[in-house]
Amino acid sequence: MGWLAPLFLVGLVGLAIPIVVHLREKQRRTVVEFPSLMFLRQIPFRSVRRRKIRHWLLLLMRSLALALLVVAFARPFFEDAEWAVGSTLGPTEVVLVLDHSYSMGYGDRWDRATAEARQVLSSLEAADRASLVLLGQGASTPVRSSSDPQRVLAAVDTARVSSYGTRYGPGLKLAQTILEESDLPHRRVAIISDFQRSGWAGDEGVRFPAGTAITVHPISDPETPNATVAGVTLRRDFFSGLERMTTTVRLTRRYGTEAVEMPVALEIDGQELQTRRVVLDPTGSATITFDPFTLSEPYTRGTVRLGPDNLLWDNELHFVLSPARALRTVIYEGVSPRADASLYMRRALEISEEAAFQVEVRSSTSIGTADLDAAAVVVLNDVRLPQGTAWDRIQGFVEDGGGLLAILGERSTWQSGMEDLFPGPFGPPTDHGPNVARLGFLDYSHPIFELFSRARTGDFARARFFRSRSIAVDPEHQVLARFHDGSAALIERRQGKGRVLMWASTLDSFWNDLVVQPVFLPFMHQVARYLGGYEERAPWFTVGQVLDLSDPEGSAFEDELAIDEEQVALTPGGGTVSLPTEETPRFLGLAEHGFYEVRPPGTNPDRPFTVAVNVDIAESELDVMDPLELAGAVAPREGPSEPGATGQLTGEVRARDQERRQSLWRLLLVAALALLLTETAASNWRSRASEKRL
Amino acid sequence: MAFRARSGFEVSRGAQFLDPAVLGRIDNLQLLARTVVDGFLHGLHTSPHLGLSLDFAEHRAYMPGDDTRRIDWRLFARTDRFYVKQFEGETSANFVTILDISKSMSFGTHSATKLDYARYLGAALAYFSQKQRDRVGLVTFDQEVVDWVPPSTRHLELILHTLDRVSPGRPGALRDPLMQIGENLNHRGIILLLSDFYETAQEAVESVRHLRARGHDLIVLHLLDPAELNFPYQRPASFRDLESGTMIPLVPDELAEEYRHLIRAHTRELELLFKHSRVDYTVLDTSQPLDYALFRYLSSRQKLGRVR
Repeated sequence: MGWLAPLFLVGLVGLAIPIVVHLREKQRRTVVEFPSLMFLRQIPFRSVRRRKIRHWLLLLMRSLALALLVVAFARPFFEDAEWAVGSTLGPTEVVLVLDHSYSMGYGDRWDRATAEARQVLSSLEAADRASLVLLGQGASTPVRSSSDPQRVLAAVDTARVSSYGTRYGPGLKLAQTILEESDLPHRRVAIISDFQRSGWAGDEGVRFPAGTAITVHPISDPETPNATVAGVTLRRDFFSGLERMTTTVRLTRRYGTEAVEMPVALEIDGQELQTRRVVLDPTGSATITFDPFTLSEPYTRGTVRLGPDNLLWDNELHFVLSPARALRTVIYEGVSPRADASLYMRRALEISEEAAFQVEVRSSTSIGTADLDAAAVVVLNDVRLPQGTAWDRIQGFVEDGGGLLAILGERSTWQSGMEDLFPGPFGPPTDHGPNVARLGFLDYSHPIFELFSRARTGDFARARFFRSRSIAVDPEHQVLARFHDGSAALIERRQGKGRVLMWASTLDSFWNDLVVQPVFLPFMHQVARYLGGYEERAPWFTVGQVLDLSDPEGSAFEDELAIDEEQVALTPGGGTVSLPTEETPRFLGLAEHGFYEVRPPGTNPDRPFTVAVNVDIAESELDVMDPLELAGAVAPREGPSEPGATGQLTGEVRARDQERRQSLWRLLLVAALALLLTETAASNWRSRASEKRL
Repeated sequence: MAFRARSGFEVSRGAQFLDPAVLGRIDNLQLLARTVVDGFLHGLHTSPHLGLSLDFAEHRAYMPGDDTRRIDWRLFARTDRFYVKQFEGETSANFVTILDISKSMSFGTHSATKLDYARYLGAALAYFSQKQRDRVGLVTFDQEVVDWVPPSTRHLELILHTLDRVSPGRPGALRDPLMQIGENLNHRGIILLLSDFYETAQEAVESVRHLRARGHDLIVLHLLDPAELNFPYQRPASFRDLESGTMIPLVPDELAEEYRHLIRAHTRELELLFKHSRVDYTVLDTSQPLDYALFRYLSSRQKLGRVR
């Protein structure tokens, strides 16, 4: 027998008080001074008689009724399942929502959570059906609406802490769907979680069906000191023809009570390269920079590992590095060009830390297939546009995905047939005279100018344009920049798989002074990257992301993954994911933290395509929310109609749930009422009988 | 307009000053006594107890040595014999008030306690007796004699002062104090005993019997508060004995009738036993005006005079 509000039982003591007082005659505190008790002492019979209880039956009935009231308020329930069977409300659809985000791996939380889940399942009855919803970043249902508790139990036993963060929305939405589809008369949701505040936005739009009882089972710890590898910065330097990587690690620690000293190690390809020790304040952060290491091999695996604590998932951060990929750019100049015609472009592209631009300058008279096949970007720098075979080669280059930048200068000429590649015909040079033209509009949403969208990140308006060519832009093409008079300055045209940009002026110091403006260098880098389809490869991904490997061309995986070959992905946990040929989408869901390898099946390449996956460090914020806040947000519209919705602590919630299902208090109240009515009738009857005797 | 006391006496308007509630407002006991007695005497003009003389008592034959100023010359003229007038004041009787000041006498459920009532009565009768030229005395006692004012014609002030300062304090007893009083009262006289007699009737009578045996005329006034007579309590309560301090829980409504029966039996037995001992016994309800008590006293004096 358990009690939901055992403090009410203290009332039973109060029940005994009037009886004891009656017997001991303590209740008569009124004192009457009397001259002498000489005569009163001669009649002791009344006093003794007073001590006797004359109507035992009435006393018993009153006492019992009051005792029943007290017991009813104490909300009793039978903990023994055999007793509980007879007082259930009926078949219930039970959805067990079990949080298996990696924060549940803190200390022994997972063991406690699974024990709690088993406890919930043990209270199921024969007619109940149960589902298990594993809640992480998404949600899954290993067992759905099963009448076999053992299946659900087995699913709980096989469940493991995942690498996901916490998002309550999908899991609760799934639970809502299961409950809405259920045809059982009663519904119940048990949420077992650490109730991280970061997992609940409050606008998930989940609302359980009417009559659903919600029980919350918070699995938390009073103190949760936790150190985290918050981030890694990888800086690439070129030194003596070698690529040097400098790793800077940012560490944070929260919820601690005292400073701790922890080791931080940098591992490259599984070898511990360097180890440092760092003192982390109870709540604070630290930054550590490791000595540079030489990067020479593709898919070099790196790991920054922080000394162990209660939550291991966020103590390591993985990354994958490969030597920088050179972006070959060929600049074609006209015959007898000025000496500095391509000087500024060439110098700007040669200065780069990340993407290495390999720049070659050629004459427009020697546009050959070899140069175009090796190039990613072709620049026609104020040349008389080629005709015939050379033009066809350029067209083919763009159609196959190459990037073309046409710079219109003194020598540029428009010929028929060029409309198939250029955004529109251009007119003769326009001399702006003393009223120089300036750039008045930039499309900051475009990747080229996105870098300059924020304040003080580049002022294009300072560049003066003395001469330019007017372009009759076809409306189907996009104007990326305009002069202040509205004429187009930079136009983009998509052609085949490639891109064509047309610049209405030169990129030297003759027609404008843009080349001497600070924005020129990043502008040229952005133009070259955009045309060459350069995409900086992310050193790591986050758990929950999905890699689209079906179309690697033009992407960071273009060179590594053959789309026409079957591939297999090895997960960090040792599992395999088949990636068939291009007929089906090649999506690789990143569900675990660590390194994923993608390789043709049956092969063992020395350096396979590898991606690093890390956990979402947002999950490291172990701030908890009030479970009732979540329960209230998803409770049925009519409010928490069931007592279970107000549960607070695990044991209490379970007890509350059992008490709700049995509802013994109602029976006790009815019995107390019946007793009081009977007592009233008996008392009246006795009074009337006494009056008759008198 | 007449006031009707519980005993059935009609009290004239002039007697309203005898109401204990009114008397309780008079601090000066002498003034109180004079008010009572004068008012009482004024009321006697309409009283059925007419004919009572305060001065002249009888004539007796002149004896050598008598004061010749007291010879009734008118009677000598008629009878040619010397007769001397004898006045009541010249009886020179001792009038001693024995006042019980035990703790139980402090009980009272209205404006005056039993002790207050006894003080008023004692003061009034002392004043009254003084006016009759009696030697007045006072003895107070609880379980022993507390104050002793020997009878004297000049002790009225002292008696009033003593009455003014008496206070109840200890439990009372009758036998030993009365024994002591009887041994110390050498001259016979009239003794007024004021008490609530919380002893058995036998013991009470035994206690006063030797006073009677020593030749004293005894007037016993049994003072009882109306609550002691009628026991009007209804709610259950703890009753505490004023003298012993012991408490017993009671349900009064269930034993009130028996109590009344017991108190009636007690007074009846006292009356019977005192009557057999030729002691004039009267139960006084302290809520009644003092005139009833005075009537009872005078009536007793009258009877004693006749007997004597």
